[in-house]
Amino acid sequence: MKTGLAGNRRRLCAVGAIWAGATVLLSGCIFTPRVPEPPGAGVQIDYLPQSSPANVWANLGKSLEASHAPGWEANISQDEFSYIPDDAARDQFPPDTFVGWDRDREINFINGFYNSGVSIIALMVEDGFSFPPPSGSEMTVENIVYYLTVTNDADGSQVRYRGQCDVIFRLEANFWYIYQWRDLQGESDPITGQPLSTMGVLRGSFGSK
Amino acid sequence: MILLILLAVAVAGVPGADAQLPDDPSEGGEALGDSLSALADSLDADDPTAGMTEMEKAMFVASQEDRSETSTTVVGPFFQGVVNVPKAGTMANVRQFTYYLDLVTTARFQGNSVLKNTFKWSFEEYRKQDKNVQKRDNVLTYGLGANLPVIISLDGTSNWSEDQTVNTAGYANLSKRNQKRAGIRALRPVLQTGIFTHTLSASASINDQKSINQGQRNDFQEGNVDGGLQSAVRIAPGVSLAGRIYGTATSGERLLGTTTSPSNADGDSLGVGVYYNRGIAVGRVTITGANFEKKYLDFKRNTNGLIDTVGLDESQKVVDELETTDAIAYELDNTFRVGRFGFLTRLTKLTDNLNYTQSGMGLKEKEHDVMDLTLTYATGRDSFATSYDYLWKWDDQRYNGATENRGRQYNKSRDFEFNYFRNLFRRTNLNLRYHEGLVQEIAQYEYNDNDKDRHQIDFSARMDRNWVEKFSTTMVFAYQEVQDYNIRASRSSTNNVKESYEVSPGYGWTISPWLSLDQSYRVYIQYTNYSFAGEDVVNRADDYNKRGNLATKVIIDPSDRLQLTIRHDYNKRFAAAKTATDATGNAYYRRDLNQTTSKIEMGMVFRVVPGVSLEASTYRTKDERQALGPRNAVTTNYSGEMWAGAHVRRRWFKKNPLELSAMVRKYNAFGPSVTETSSDYWESDIWLKWEF
Repeated sequence: MKTGLAGNRRRLCAVGAIWAGATVLLSGCIFTPRVPEPPGAGVQIDYLPQSSPANVWANLGKSLEASHAPGWEANISQDEFSYIPDDAARDQFPPDTFVGWDRDREINFINGFYNSGVSIIALMVEDGFSFPPPSGSEMTVENIVYYLTVTNDADGSQVRYRGQCDVIFRLEANFWYIYQWRDLQGESDPITGQPLSTMGVLRGSFGSK
Repeated sequence: MILLILLAVAVAGVPGADAQLPDDPSEGGEALGDSLSALADSLDADDPTAGMTEMEKAMFVASQEDRSETSTTVVGPFFQGVVNVPKAGTMANVRQFTYYLDLVTTARFQGNSVLKNTFKWSFEEYRKQDKNVQKRDNVLTYGLGANLPVIISLDGTSNWSEDQTVNTAGYANLSKRNQKRAGIRALRPVLQTGIFTHTLSASASINDQKSINQGQRNDFQEGNVDGGLQSAVRIAPGVSLAGRIYGTATSGERLLGTTTSPSNADGDSLGVGVYYNRGIAVGRVTITGANFEKKYLDFKRNTNGLIDTVGLDESQKVVDELETTDAIAYELDNTFRVGRFGFLTRLTKLTDNLNYTQSGMGLKEKEHDVMDLTLTYATGRDSFATSYDYLWKWDDQRYNGATENRGRQYNKSRDFEFNYFRNLFRRTNLNLRYHEGLVQEIAQYEYNDNDKDRHQIDFSARMDRNWVEKFSTTMVFAYQEVQDYNIRASRSSTNNVKESYEVSPGYGWTISPWLSLDQSYRVYIQYTNYSFAGEDVVNRADDYNKRGNLATKVIIDPSDRLQLTIRHDYNKRFAAAKTATDATGNAYYRRDLNQTTSKIEMGMVFRVVPGVSLEASTYRTKDERQALGPRNAVTTNYSGEMWAGAHVRRRWFKKNPLELSAMVRKYNAFGPSVTETSSDYWESDIWLKWEF
């Protein structure tokens, strides 16, 4: 009887091992990325090393202007990212739109945003704003005012966003990342004086699609 | 939302199908969430309150209470009693002060009939912004209990809020909202006709909202009726067939800006499913279809659905929008269990067409397919789980006025994971994990240049051993490789492969009942290799980064009332860029940065008497950065924080209890990133509650 049970167990283990092995072998084929085209001339995106929060924030601007999603993904926390909208942006969308906004939702947003056929001009800080020097392994930088002009290539329409936010940066392993982005309020257009929305409106529009 | 409440309650009433109710069809596929939401939310069996506001949740909970109490009917006098629970409190933190007052009144009548009123008032004053928010909410629910053969409940809500914000340019905005709602709902959870078991539900409500934001009014007065029927029949032992039909209609008038127009919406959904629990198989197969049509006032939107009224006359800013949705969801969820093996399968297919007549978005088409396969095996000593997940989704769009579609945007994702656990020998466990994933973005007809692949491999091994009861060790090794590839020439200059290694040994030692020590050392190493680093048009250099971290934690309990905690974190890291590779392939790097960070932290908790404790904590950090290059520069920064406070929790009187909770802390902080408002502030959470 004991021998029979042991035999069954061996057989079951063998089935499991075969299944797992087959999956691994199969994965070797279907997990191969495509071969990229060599870069063309004049299309360099000069990301800064993520050695300080200032560089990380600047990299987001470079990612926006190049519509380059990997640049955004590389600068937000690889472990836990969160986004907290301002009240005005949150109220424009269904109640659960921003609940649990994490790295996956952020990546979904940025891909949806860039894939929608937009050209972006990004000023990630106001003139005169300076980042404090990096210190410790976590830093909160307050009252950052960013300003985006988003041109829709399909219809030529232009929408501007200007918001004030607090951002928590964290040192994870060897580099700084954005750990939390909290939009505080929309700011006025410096040219027209028109009150503008924060990027929460963009996140709500593209992150839920 | 009534729809959600009704169907969540209705679906929960189907006998034999409670554990296998259809999940939200949009689960894991937010792509379909927007247009399927009305239907999808209604089918969410896991969390029936998902998406509700706090007020709506309170209403839902109240309705559940009404329902649950019908099972044990209370007899006696007509009026059973009333309970009032007032609560007043204040909270403070680095961002805001909040003052609030709640009053919950519950009156109980014969036959489990319950009248409940919840009133909430709050005032928020922001420290870092010129902003105040005041809110007044009231929810009144009345459940008739078991006095009638159907469950009937009435509710009325009032939500009022005023948000005054002044931005840095001095622009002051007043956002006001006053919303009122009254509704009645009826539910017949179990109605047996022959072999069929039915659940019937119906509701009616009126909604009135007046709001203004940035000088633009957004008002509506609407009435809504809806009804649903779910029928289930047992077709074989352990197998049930259930069908569901639901319809809703809304009509009223809306005002947006200066434009007034009638509004209406109607929708229906039809679903059918087979639920089984027989032999080795448990699962369900379901098909759900939904249609929705909504007519409402909206601001002019561009092809991406963003409000775009710049340069338009007032009369052109608002349009009469007609939105239609057709959606269908198929789902198979199955679990086979054979001995110690489990095989789980989940297949879903969702399609959704959303059309706008006025918005530049036009027609949006979406499809979302998911396959999850999981194999598990468990014994006393070994266990493993493997899973393979596949996601394939796309969306397409035909802009308003266009004759052809934009092109599909595909998103494909594959994930394989293997987890293995083994008890190696006495008190020693081993965990192994392997993961491989590929995520692809593909634009049909190359309508954009954002095609990209991200390939990731993770491997980790962890061994834990309890040497003796008071001493344990841990060893972790982790490896990760991430390939970020942009496919098109205009984006591929930054393509790179990142390889990371982490080694982390640690131990925990309870030296004596009043003294324990934990210490761990972690080393992180990351190499970044740019795929086209040698090309003339690419000026990126491969790099190498390393960080070591020694973390120490000591806990001292000198007495039952006092606990002291001391932590120390010591970090040393450097960053280097590749300068050359020799003939044998050895790479040479130049250091660009050295950084050393040391942080010491101390905390104390002293329990003065039961329910009263004093707490304090402080830390100080020294950060030294040495930038290496033509000019070496050393920067040293110090930062720190200290807080001290008390925590009180007391309760008086057994009858009509009075309860006090108070947490107060005073914070002081300094450092390069600490602003004036963050350097000196109070944190508190104080409330007083009475029940009578």
